[in-house]
Amino acid sequence: MGIVIAVISGKGGVGKTTAVANLGLGVAMNNKACAVVDFDIGQRNLDMILGLENRVVYDIVQVMDGEATLKQALIKSKVNDNLRFLAASQIKDKRVLNSKKVYKLVKELKDSFDYVILDSPAGIESGFEHTIEFADAAIIVVNPEVSSIRDADRAIGILDSKSQKVKDGGEVAKYLIINRIVANMVQSGEMLKSEDILDILNIKLVGKVPEDSGVIDASNQGKPVILDKHSIAGQAYKRISARLCGKKVDMKDVEVSDSSLFKKITGIFK
Amino acid sequence: MQSKQYSVKVYECSIDDEERFMSFFDTNYTLFKDHLIVINGYLSQNIKDYLNSKSLIFINNIKLPKGRSRRALEEEFEAQRRESDIDKIIAETKLEKLSKRLQNNLTVLDDIIRSGRELNIDGDLLLLNRVNSGATIYTTGNLIITQLVEGSVRCDGNFMILTTSSKANVIFHGEEIDNSFLEDRLSRVELKNQEIVITPVFKKEINWVS
Repeated sequence: MGIVIAVISGKGGVGKTTAVANLGLGVAMNNKACAVVDFDIGQRNLDMILGLENRVVYDIVQVMDGEATLKQALIKSKVNDNLRFLAASQIKDKRVLNSKKVYKLVKELKDSFDYVILDSPAGIESGFEHTIEFADAAIIVVNPEVSSIRDADRAIGILDSKSQKVKDGGEVAKYLIINRIVANMVQSGEMLKSEDILDILNIKLVGKVPEDSGVIDASNQGKPVILDKHSIAGQAYKRISARLCGKKVDMKDVEVSDSSLFKKITGIFK
Repeated sequence: MQSKQYSVKVYECSIDDEERFMSFFDTNYTLFKDHLIVINGYLSQNIKDYLNSKSLIFINNIKLPKGRSRRALEEEFEAQRRESDIDKIIAETKLEKLSKRLQNNLTVLDDIIRSGRELNIDGDLLLLNRVNSGATIYTTGNLIITQLVEGSVRCDGNFMILTTSSKANVIFHGEEIDNSFLEDRLSRVELKNQEIVITPVFKKEINWVS
């Protein structure tokens, strides 16, 4: 029985898909069976970033409709045997999803993997709602800017009201990744400080990713940046992945480390 | 106070022919001597003297209360009782409403009010958490928010206590409050003699003696 993590942001273009690709690979590198699923139906991106564009035969909609088995549709990563990928449909749109189908698929994935990472579409429409519906935890990706924070805030609000786990009386664990931080802009006060973001969103921080020009090149080449040993963003994703696997990793660029945060993270993944 | 109640026999008449009247009273004197005589219409000195000489008690031109049947009396009494019951109920509901107003239906919340959420509170609200940008709160009663307000707040109560950031939008009794009055410190906004008064709850800076 694995854990289902939805990666959401509210606003588009903050680096959700990049985060999913890197975290999926990072978790797989920690010897966990991991599946990454592209839920952005109609706007398939994750396959390109993972470099699996030419391997896609069956997609998520075909699996849900029974036209293909999950085994047939899961694509094995070129770089890590622990990682599998399920592509979104590029032809259909998100209206084809319904709760029953999503539940069946998520359950099947959960039974055969340690980690299931769902890449949510941007916005707060039905596609987003289906992604978070059966998730055990959510990773919220934000950029240090006001519009991203407000959209993320809204997304968290919906997560807290529409998730199945909440409806059953539980709580969805929520973790924050602050992406594309430019250190000297934060220092000069042009960019929001992490403390302010945490103040507003009031969820646990799982990692900060600095701005790195290597990310775009890595995405274009289909080699997630986590594979680049010299990339600062890649190193950040490596640390976050280790934390997701329950390892204690110090916050490198955080002034005050929160020891209870690690306890909580390891706690929910047991 | 001392009071006594009498039932008196009354003979009511009017006089056309004084001679006839006197002869009628002469013959029926024994019958009328215990009666109260009520004479309607003109009463001459002649008759007055006659009645006095007979030592009869009389009054002139008086409207007598008409007697009613027992049933009519009972009906009236019943109606009165019903009316007083209704008055009692009205008074009770008034009292209940008043106590409601005194308590003001206090709602206590410890949720972070996130963007997109709309809170409509009938009564008072005590909020122990943040109001984020894009959230809306409306209360008919008083409002206390202990954490930073960045969203939109509308209050129609007697007072509100809050701290805002420059992003917030605060409306008190239909008047927009300038954020610069409420920024960075807890302030009380209240209605005093039709005027909105803003006072800081406590000062942030302490000037130590150097």
